[in-house]
Amino acid sequence: MIELKNIEKYYANKGVKSYILRHVTTSIKQGEFVSIMGPSGAGKSTLLNILGMLEEPTYGQYEFMGEDVVSLNERKRIELYRNHIGFVFQAYHLIDEMTVAENIEAPLLYKKVPGSERKSRVADILDRFNMVAKSDLFPNQLSGGQQQLVGIARALVAQPSIILADEPTGNLQSAQALQIMDLFKKLNEEEGITIVQVTHSEVNAAYGSRILHLLDGVIKEDVTVQQTV
Amino acid sequence: MFKLNFKIILRSIWKNKVSSIINVVGLAIGLAACLMLLIYISYEWNFDKQSKDSANVHVVMTNVLDDKGKIFLTFNGSTTAFAPLIKQEIPEVKYISRMDYGNTGLIANGINGFKRKSKFAEPDILKMYDYHFIHGDPKTALKDPRSVILTESTAKTLFGSTDVLNKTVKYQEKENLNVTGVIKDLPENSSNRFDYLMPWSLYEILDEGAKDLNWNNFSFVTLVTLRPDANLDLVNRKVDEAIRRSNREVSQPNFLFPLSKMHLYGKFEGGKSTGGDIEQIWLFTALAIGILLIACINFMNMATAKSEKRAKEVGIKKTIGANRRSLIMQFLAESMVLTLISVIIAIVLIESFMPIFNNLLNIKMSIPYLNSYIWVGLLSIILITGLIAGSYPAFYLSSFNPTQSLKRNVEGRGFFSLSLRKVLVIGQFCFTIILIISTLVIYKQIQFIKNKPVGFDVNALVEMPQDGQLKEKFDLLKTRLLKSGAVTSMYQSSVNLSHHGSNFTGIEWPGMPQPENTVMFNRVGTTYNYISTNGIKLISGRDFNERYASDSSAVLLSASAVKVMGLKKPVGEVVKMFESNFTVVGVFDDYVWDSPYQSNNPMVVFFNKRGTGTITMRLNEGNNLQQNIETITNITKEINPAYPVDIKFMNSIYADKLSKEKTLGTLSNLFGGLAVFISCLGLFGLLSYSAEQRTKEFGIRKVLGASVASLMQLLSLSFVKMILVATVLAAPIAYYIMIKWLDNFEYHTTISWWVFALAAIGTLTISLLTVSYKAYRTAKSNPINALKYE
Repeated sequence: MIELKNIEKYYANKGVKSYILRHVTTSIKQGEFVSIMGPSGAGKSTLLNILGMLEEPTYGQYEFMGEDVVSLNERKRIELYRNHIGFVFQAYHLIDEMTVAENIEAPLLYKKVPGSERKSRVADILDRFNMVAKSDLFPNQLSGGQQQLVGIARALVAQPSIILADEPTGNLQSAQALQIMDLFKKLNEEEGITIVQVTHSEVNAAYGSRILHLLDGVIKEDVTVQQTV
Repeated sequence: MFKLNFKIILRSIWKNKVSSIINVVGLAIGLAACLMLLIYISYEWNFDKQSKDSANVHVVMTNVLDDKGKIFLTFNGSTTAFAPLIKQEIPEVKYISRMDYGNTGLIANGINGFKRKSKFAEPDILKMYDYHFIHGDPKTALKDPRSVILTESTAKTLFGSTDVLNKTVKYQEKENLNVTGVIKDLPENSSNRFDYLMPWSLYEILDEGAKDLNWNNFSFVTLVTLRPDANLDLVNRKVDEAIRRSNREVSQPNFLFPLSKMHLYGKFEGGKSTGGDIEQIWLFTALAIGILLIACINFMNMATAKSEKRAKEVGIKKTIGANRRSLIMQFLAESMVLTLISVIIAIVLIESFMPIFNNLLNIKMSIPYLNSYIWVGLLSIILITGLIAGSYPAFYLSSFNPTQSLKRNVEGRGFFSLSLRKVLVIGQFCFTIILIISTLVIYKQIQFIKNKPVGFDVNALVEMPQDGQLKEKFDLLKTRLLKSGAVTSMYQSSVNLSHHGSNFTGIEWPGMPQPENTVMFNRVGTTYNYISTNGIKLISGRDFNERYASDSSAVLLSASAVKVMGLKKPVGEVVKMFESNFTVVGVFDDYVWDSPYQSNNPMVVFFNKRGTGTITMRLNEGNNLQQNIETITNITKEINPAYPVDIKFMNSIYADKLSKEKTLGTLSNLFGGLAVFISCLGLFGLLSYSAEQRTKEFGIRKVLGASVASLMQLLSLSFVKMILVATVLAAPIAYYIMIKWLDNFEYHTTISWWVFALAAIGTLTISLLTVSYKAYRTAKSNPINALKYE
């Protein structure tokens, strides 16, 4: 699904290149649950952003579903966002002026899904996440965990093939974090959604099937997690 | 989608209350000012355009030639013989009507008399103007000479109702007229307004000048409706030929000019229209657009300043699949909604301030709700304003890169946005300062003219019209008033002391260089006490005096008249006017009677017993003013009971001469004030955001030991700099504009440096006051609040 070849990212400042990513080559297959780990400044988020086409690599090749996307134009990129990619952020990034239901509905609006289908899909997902009672609340009326659930619901509603999550539990208490990770695992296993997450926590990483250890912009380790079921 | 967007827009407006209020209030005031001016412009623009056929109605103009055959004056008077000839000779003429210029005459129902605007016209006028007849038949209303058409309000004043057909009213105490029609009141913006209309046939009975078919008395107005397919140039050529064929003596060529253009393009040079009040219309249009623009700039600046907040939203929406177009639409829709709210507030503002505005401009306007154009106009203003105000934020914000915006890298203070915002603020203040400087110069000019001596003693001088019995019984009135002690001196004259017109060229004097005089002289016919009552300075000789019987053919010359005539020893010389000789008995200093802005032409004051029309009196300043007026009113009423007594003060008449410039001054003051307010509102908004953005920086600085004053300075300095730049830019522009304006006046003030200094300091002070409050609050806040935020 994702092919990265020799991805480099650096910032040139007064002739000095400061590297964020170096020689990153890897591939992620459909249905994998990958965790990117590493200390602060290792380039985890930059890698995820490149995967999400939010940033362009300085150098290297990136194929998403067999398509070269390094210098994709904005229109095509938005098509990919609408149909294949769901984002989950550490700071949730919900739209403050919209209710829970409206936040979840928004991607469908942009995807131009007809009204009746929209309603049923939003109702469906609210039901699945046990948030029917909260559908008319605004984000600032919810706890962090609940907000993140809405964030995930919003990412899922457009039925993406991959979810990119940047420290999804970074702002949450551990109980809520576990709930989120359980959800990810369930989505990955039951619906076959590819998940790539950036995380600091070994515990969270253990939910996935594979861990990429990043250090100073280089992949130091690529390990498959032994599932302890 | 639209419904959801709309809901979200309302929520976001509610959430950002401060910026929404600044936006809406600024925009509402801007729009109100703009709409008010537009209503005024449309009022002026629609002058004489109300009737269906108005495009085909023309007024007959006359060119006055000088001795070299050059046109030196064009005016809208014509002769009595013109209309019958043209009607016969030119097939394109559909309707034609002679009229008088209109007058103020007494109309009475029994003993209840009122002075109202009268007009005489031929029956064709009822076909030119589609007057709305409430009662009566337009076909027959002006047939009988003793008939009159009343307007609704005149009928109500006289009879208390409009159902007054066939009732009798008395005109000028003499003529009993039969009411043959009652029409709706005429629109304010019409040049041919009247309160009652009488047939031309009556005028011919009352005035010999009207009856006599002649080619040399230009005291009448002729209106002509041409057939819709007529070619005006061709018709004018035919008019020329027809006159030439019928009468060789006519030296003044006539031509037809569209009546609907008279009001705005009424300035003629060399027989061609060269503009007129239309220039004022352009000025007001520029003002309207300028005010709206500075309100729009606020809007843009607030939106871009908010960009940091909005950037997150843009980022999120982009990652969930929003494209740029939908974001642009969203931002535009948002500004449209705000504009719509502003328009509603603006209409409320206009409704509440319209009476004041009307009072100021001395006109009657209202929002023409029933006019479909106004709605189309309003809708397009909403769309255009929304588009202008929303376009920059829409295109700017929607271009954000999602990662950067989500990482909060976009500070809204990038090089581009900052400099553009600066440019906009500078532009705003530039406009504002130009308005302030213009206001100051206009007031300085008014003050200059006010302080310029008029050449006579304007205080305690009053005048009243010499109506009815006052003509024959003037001597009685004079004796009684002088005896009463209310008046110390008085005279009667053919024109008011302050008059316009009454010019002539037919004067001869000893030693004339040419056989015929070409210089326009002004004339006043009067009897005794002209000079002494007014307190005009006598240079040589004396005033007319009862002791000299020969004074019945005496004349007084103004200093400039003596200069034009080149007389060395004027007193005793004989000048010839209207076929009779007048001996010069005195020379008086020039004084102001017409425009105070230019030197008036030479004047002759000649002795004429029939020179009646106005009575001017000098009040006894030893008495109470109120008492004086009461005494005069009582005595006048006793002698001339049919007419209301209408006493006017000379100083207010002379103050009125400055009214046009005063209106301009008030308007530029008003709109300048609004511009300052809107600009400062924007400044406040910008500073609030700048303060919000820099909260953390300020917290750190405070922890490091920065003082409140230094922090305030940090915040305000950039704004002060912008205003200084705006002043530097505005000064030469304003200077140029005002020099041009002052050039219109022969007597004008100079533009002093302090005008610029005052404008700069004033603007700076107001804007400093605006920013310092917010800056102080920000600087005083506890640093921990700012720092724990992150």
